[in-house]
Amino acid sequence: MYRLALNMLFGDRAKLAMLLCGLAFSALLMAQQSSVFFGIMSWTYTPMVNIRAQVWVSDPMVEQVNDAKPLRDTDLGRVRSVDGVAWAAPLHTSFVQARMQDGNFKLITLVGIDADTFAGAPAVLTQGRIEDLRLPDTVIVDEWGASLMGRMTVGPDGKPRNTPLKVGDTFEINDIQARIVGICKVKRAFTGGPFVYTTYDRAKGYTLGARRTLSFMLVEPQKGVTPTELCDRIERDTGLKAWTSDTVIWSWGERSLARNTFWWFWTNTGIPFSFGTAVLLGLFVGIAISGQTFYSFVLENLKYFAAIKAMGAGMGVIARMLFVQAFTAGLIGFGLGAGMAQGIGRVMIEKGMPPFVMYPQILWATFVLVLGISFVSAIIGIIKVSRVDAASVFRG
Amino acid sequence: MSRLAHTVAVRASGVDMFFGTPDNQVVALKQADFEARRGELIMLVGPSGCGKTTLLSVIAGTLTPQAGTVEVFGQRLDGLGQEELTAFRRKNLGFVFQSFNLIPTLTVAENVMIPLLIQGRPYDEAHDRAAAIIEKVGLKGREEGRPNALSGGQQQRVAIARALVHEPPLLICDEPTSALDKDTGGHIMQLVRDLSRSPERCVVVVTHDHRIFRFADRIAEMEDGRISRVVDDPKLLDTTHL
Repeated sequence: MYRLALNMLFGDRAKLAMLLCGLAFSALLMAQQSSVFFGIMSWTYTPMVNIRAQVWVSDPMVEQVNDAKPLRDTDLGRVRSVDGVAWAAPLHTSFVQARMQDGNFKLITLVGIDADTFAGAPAVLTQGRIEDLRLPDTVIVDEWGASLMGRMTVGPDGKPRNTPLKVGDTFEINDIQARIVGICKVKRAFTGGPFVYTTYDRAKGYTLGARRTLSFMLVEPQKGVTPTELCDRIERDTGLKAWTSDTVIWSWGERSLARNTFWWFWTNTGIPFSFGTAVLLGLFVGIAISGQTFYSFVLENLKYFAAIKAMGAGMGVIARMLFVQAFTAGLIGFGLGAGMAQGIGRVMIEKGMPPFVMYPQILWATFVLVLGISFVSAIIGIIKVSRVDAASVFRG
Repeated sequence: MSRLAHTVAVRASGVDMFFGTPDNQVVALKQADFEARRGELIMLVGPSGCGKTTLLSVIAGTLTPQAGTVEVFGQRLDGLGQEELTAFRRKNLGFVFQSFNLIPTLTVAENVMIPLLIQGRPYDEAHDRAAAIIEKVGLKGREEGRPNALSGGQQQRVAIARALVHEPPLLICDEPTSALDKDTGGHIMQLVRDLSRSPERCVVVVTHDHRIFRFADRIAEMEDGRISRVVDDPKLLDTTHL
């Protein structure tokens, strides 16, 4: 009977198309919006991805990575003295205005790293050398920033075009010259400003007037000491807060700064509500369109189901037929919707806006929700068919 | 005919059936008695609203009467639960409906296979048996076509094939010719008669169509919810009020 159930479903192409549209649209909306949401949320802990270190140390009041509460430079020595620390390097992060050559201002994320070890330096440079950061007034700008901070020039065709910054170009931070010696490739941040790397000491100069400039300390544990163990020791010995650098955000974790950042944004901003509404909308639209279409499919076939009942099919068989139909449509609809979401995601990733992260969990959740929609649709149909009297087939 | 052919196939005694609330009751059957024999084709006739369809539904086990007993091939239906009635219908009954009730999104063969698939027969076996009976009803070569591509008479042939494919002992036909012209109706009834004729099978036909009375072995006339008389010869009936 299941094969016949499927043939009944595929035989009514108009209804099937409508049903698949509803389910695919629903799956697309849920998967795409969730992926954009997690993409945006993944930007919240971008510094943890761009600045690699096993242990981060901060002021005890820090809740997330974008909210640095400056420490005293002497804290660096206290951390270095903790048993199990291989090395500890200073890190400065702040948001400052950079003035372009054309007089425009751009907000940037200034990152000051240790000039001796280059701990926290960008992993990939597309132009220049990291060592050149030791030269006076030098900075490294990320690719996106180079483009954002570029200047308008006239192309060979006479049309204006944006010319990205390149090695050798200059701009100013607090009236102090910054000369580009490298272009790096890093992940973009939620806060929007491009990453501009310089040395820790130079960063102090760029942020005139700030008494404390040590935002974080990047720490490496000695061999045989786990990051978590080291965090415990640092907190015990210094009273500072120590974090691990893992960026798996799927659970509450006291030690992971990325995870804490993610959940801080989850609970303190309207982003989850906004995207959650879109996901719920997808769910409701799916239930409404698919439920309604499937119900209409059942209504259209009601007299045939009544005839099948009269011929001796129990409600169990008919219910299973309806489940097979609904879940088959659900599977195809999910495949179409998730495929479209994936396609849109690829385009988004290529264009870089907005961020798009499709975790396997998103696909699984979408799959479960689409099957939930199918289940609800099937139940509506089953209720309708169960109320049909087999004797009604004799009423013409 | 053999002695077996004259044993009772269907017996309904003192059947009451009413619809609606006690305040607003419509009596469909009132102390109705009916008997059909093995090997015969019996027609239930009567004016609209006399209770033919209700009696047919009671015999088919799709309606449970408020009073009286119904026995089909020795099985009392009035004491059976819904699941047992469903199982009984699955095994023992074939249906030919007034409006054919062929599923338009399935092929002719798939429509015919339904009773076998409901019985749990494998798809391939059901397909082979469906193809064989489709050939018997004269539609060889149309197995994979859609019912909507067939004429009304051809669709009713498919319905007959579907009703007989699982070889049920009781064939229930509800106005099988009402949607067909005279010639087609005659051909259909001839087909029903030819294919269903068996000493073990009983065919009950509800009809208004006096043009097909000649195909009946006996005709039971209904009036006001009960059988008023049973005749062997259709000429004995006054058809002006049917």
